Amino acid sequence: MERLRRNPELQAWLLLAIPAAFLLIFFMAPLVIVFVYSFLERGKYGGVEWVFTLENIRRVFDPLYFKTFVRSFYIAIVTTLITLILGYPLAYYIANSPPSRRNALVFALMIPFWTNFLIRTYAWLTLLRTHTGLINVTLLNWGLIQKPLPLFGNDFAIILGLVYGWLPVMVLPIYAALERLDRSLLEAARDLYASSFYAFRRVTWPLSIPGVVAGSMLVFIPSLGAFVTPAILGGGKSLMIGNIISNQFLGAHDWPFGSALSMVMMIAMLIATLIYFRWTTSSEIAT
Amino acid sequence: MSEPFAVELRDVVKQFGDVVAVNHVSLRIRDGEFFSLLGPSGCGKTTTLRMIAGFEIPTHGEIYIHGERQGYRPPNKRPVNTVFQNYALFPHMTVAENIAFGMEMRKIPKDEIKRRVDEALAMVRLSGMANRRPKQLSGGQQQRVALARALVNRPEVLLLDEPLGALDLKLRKAMQIELKALQEEVGITFIYVTHDQEEALTMSDRIAVMNDGIVHQVGDPETIYEHPADRFVADFIGETNFIPVRVVSLAPEIVVELGTGQKVQAGWAEEGLAPGDKAVLSIRPEKMDLLEPKKKPQSPSQEMAYVPGVVTHLVYVGTDTRHTVRLGDGSEVVVRLQNIYVGEEPWEIGEQAVITWNAAHARILKE
Repeated sequence: MERLRRNPELQAWLLLAIPAAFLLIFFMAPLVIVFVYSFLERGKYGGVEWVFTLENIRRVFDPLYFKTFVRSFYIAIVTTLITLILGYPLAYYIANSPPSRRNALVFALMIPFWTNFLIRTYAWLTLLRTHTGLINVTLLNWGLIQKPLPLFGNDFAIILGLVYGWLPVMVLPIYAALERLDRSLLEAARDLYASSFYAFRRVTWPLSIPGVVAGSMLVFIPSLGAFVTPAILGGGKSLMIGNIISNQFLGAHDWPFGSALSMVMMIAMLIATLIYFRWTTSSEIAT
Repeated sequence: MSEPFAVELRDVVKQFGDVVAVNHVSLRIRDGEFFSLLGPSGCGKTTTLRMIAGFEIPTHGEIYIHGERQGYRPPNKRPVNTVFQNYALFPHMTVAENIAFGMEMRKIPKDEIKRRVDEALAMVRLSGMANRRPKQLSGGQQQRVALARALVNRPEVLLLDEPLGALDLKLRKAMQIELKALQEEVGITFIYVTHDQEEALTMSDRIAVMNDGIVHQVGDPETIYEHPADRFVADFIGETNFIPVRVVSLAPEIVVELGTGQKVQAGWAEEGLAPGDKAVLSIRPEKMDLLEPKKKPQSPSQEMAYVPGVVTHLVYVGTDTRHTVRLGDGSEVVVRLQNIYVGEEPWEIGEQAVITWNAAHARILKE
């Protein structure tokens, strides 16, 4: 006991022991399993045969799957950009509201999260469906269009669903960054002959970049791995990599190939994240 | 109109909702002047400064800078720069980038910017710090960067909002002298907001004393201290005694009656007082002396007051000792005596004493 009291380092280690053990067992171990499975042969009814192979990795780069890979990236990037374009002004507005209203607005932003994501995505389905969806039916009835708009079963529907789902996640970190921003810095910029546009460009924007980076990561990563949204709004025609992975485990019983897809996706995501970080931090210094 | 003033406020009012922050203020600030707006927090001094800078637009009245009406002109279009209370340095830029910001916005050629940044850094003695970030500097250094960032633009008027407020006492004293010297060197009009009366007295050519959105008095430091125009100014600037009195006559001599019935003369009376009015006699503690009762002259001259009392309290404060003396009517007067006497018996609590002062130092103010 005496030794423990005198040794802050030992105290820190004890404090960390439980979360560290938790992460090691429940976070690292599954990752290792996925990694190992990627190099094994499939079992007949799921599971694996303990035979080493590179076949799974090779199949990931098969054009059939690789195209979906590229499209998933495309969808995730577009989703991130749109949430950023919509989310930044929203965060800016909330951060510049009177303090009493700010909390109410943040609260309102979180309300959609109270409903199950799956249910909300189905709600979009009733709006977007080609022939029976509310939007097309209404527009057809009013005679504004002659034939239904392609709102469903395509990339548009998936991106719409993802933007809808992840917008609050983009807004919150940007809001946090903007709310911390010292207003007198903007006054200083205006005082030093900056127009309101330049004050934003040279002060507000660079100081909010940490929020933009965090928000983009929080949107990009789950968008890339999404499978509920494309499964429902993609209408079975437009798929993302998440659907193929889930199908390997739940439908095709090919665990090793599913694991290989996951591994490759994870590595790709890691590289994309690193590039993005490097790019944003260097542009922050440049401004 | 003759020579336009550097800054002129004509009947300026600023309201925030129901709150009147600045109430019909008119000021004329001369070119090259070190002008202070002095008052307690919430007196409207910062709002006044912000209206000159363009951060706030007056509800009523007009502001002129070198004769030009400012109207709704935004801050970036005004020929003034501000040194902010918390410096407001851009944390994501280096010291040099901070200083260059204003010139960049005005599209001044790159090589000239560089030259002027170097000059400005030399002026505030931070030449080696160009590539540091504000966070890597001490408070005093940040203060000097803020000053350089504003002055490098050669504004017609420099506005300073309590720029020394965050510094410790010793540094503040040093910066006061430095600022004043800098102002004389560059010859730019400084408008300086502070709640620190000593700071204002030390640095200013003229001071406007404000309270509750109203300017109580404008004058040079000596006038403000020696001849306060009303009770607020007398109370806010330095230490003073307010002895309750009743006005007996205002002409040819100003005569008032103390609570004890004793009549004394005074040098000046505030306008609007009439014989019979209740008022206060204001006199600075260092303008008085204490005598032993037996030393009081037999035929005292008219302009000297001799008021008997009892010493009730003594506080030794180094350079001098504060003697609290209770008069016959129970009112208390503080007399500061410098500790320069050798071999003299100090005053003791309970001792009878006669306070004496020259009528010229006594001012009769409204209650």
